[in-house]
Amino acid sequence: MTRYAMVMDTRRCIACHSCTVACRTFNDLPLDMIYNPVLTDGPVGVYPNLHMNHMPLLCMHCDTPPCVHVCPTGASKQEDDGIVWVKAETCIGCKTCIQACPYNARHIDHALGVVAKCDFCKDRVRAGKEPHCVKTCHQRARIFGDLDDPASDVSRLVNSLNTIQLLEELETDPQVFYILGTGGQG
Amino acid sequence: MREKHFWGWPIAGYLTLGGLGGCMMIYAVVTDLFFDSGDVFALCALAAAALLGLGSSFLIFELGRPTQFWRVFSAQKAVLTFGAWMVLALIGVSVVYFSFWTGWFPWSQMESLRKVVAGLGLLLGTGVVLYTGIELASFKARAFWNTPALPVLFAVSGLLTGAAADSLLAGLWPFAGSEAALASVREVLRSLCIVLVVFDFIVVMLYVLMMYTSSNPTARRAASRWLSGSFAAPFWGGLVAFGHVAPLSLYALGGVVAAVIASVLVIVGGVFLRFLVVYSDDRRLFAGEERYWERLPKGDEAFLEAWE
Repeated sequence: MTRYAMVMDTRRCIACHSCTVACRTFNDLPLDMIYNPVLTDGPVGVYPNLHMNHMPLLCMHCDTPPCVHVCPTGASKQEDDGIVWVKAETCIGCKTCIQACPYNARHIDHALGVVAKCDFCKDRVRAGKEPHCVKTCHQRARIFGDLDDPASDVSRLVNSLNTIQLLEELETDPQVFYILGTGGQG
Repeated sequence: MREKHFWGWPIAGYLTLGGLGGCMMIYAVVTDLFFDSGDVFALCALAAAALLGLGSSFLIFELGRPTQFWRVFSAQKAVLTFGAWMVLALIGVSVVYFSFWTGWFPWSQMESLRKVVAGLGLLLGTGVVLYTGIELASFKARAFWNTPALPVLFAVSGLLTGAAADSLLAGLWPFAGSEAALASVREVLRSLCIVLVVFDFIVVMLYVLMMYTSSNPTARRAASRWLSGSFAAPFWGGLVAFGHVAPLSLYALGGVVAAVIASVLVIVGGVFLRFLVVYSDDRRLFAGEERYWERLPKGDEAFLEAWE
């Protein structure tokens, strides 16, 4: 069975924000909505050994998504391939899922009155293409694929490197894995 | 641009009215079922239905698509859906229960049927009072809410505000009993309110101190705001002074006027509590997140106005 996942190699990320721009452009997002911010922490360390840490974010497409379980209309869905998305037609904009999400991955679309979020560009990936943020990343810091396919890059990286999941202690089992390191050094 | 709080005053209003309405109904039916003096609080059942209806309208107002509110009844497992059904059922049961006391309907004299409806009201009232706290406490993302103590906090506050509201309406139409009976009920209510004010104060302080000493830095940050930060004025002034200390003094003083003012202040304190809790929706931020959102346009920049 297919299980889509993403690996963020933060050693490679240089916080160029190309992924953010690509996502907003191709998904035609409103000006106040960002699905995949790239956070920068730093400089950290002691001079002259200073560095910046970059953390690309997006919806974690959790295996146990708290946002789906609290939805009172069933508009928040999790597909068999793991993609978590919102069916806008049945969303009433109660924002309960926004409160339930620990990753700030859900946003209110003020124009439509519904909740919107990253859906891993589901139409593209099911057509065999990569999400826009992955395709745009020239540093190859974002790696996307099928976690259940042992030959895929994501499966290989998750199983061979010491990856972490964000806020693992909340037991949401995010399907976005992070290889931690110093930004731009990969 | 980033919203500071996703839920606003309508949710705080709904949480207040939900707890208030549910507990008003609980007191009304408990006095009927166990003390055989339900007529004193008969009007409270109708008031509970009205307040729950008003609270529900607040909820609908908060929605991004208010006209689609009916979809909230369509999920199968969500706590919110259970809650919506319970609130709807409680409004209906409260109105039906009140109708027994009017004497206008053929079923008005059917005491056993009224007791059955009262039992149903007790169950639904308890469900409505508890589910809001359970809903908020289930959000792992919100450290200040994510504790089993939150339903307790809301339930105790609901019991206090419900008792205060019922004391305001006790003995009004369609009650037709003696003034002496009413006076004794009011005395019991006054004693109950004194006990509940003290108990609620203890629960509130324990909750805030529990969060203040929590191992979770997000919960600690929110609790610090209550005790000495930007929420200190509504907490110490609105919730503690107006919602607890002043009513306790007035209840202790005695007299009808003092009791009425005290009851109103207790309800105001309940409103403050719900606002403070709703606006304590702190989420754990990732390193660099605060700076990222702060650096984005706020929406009033000149270039954005030119864009639009």
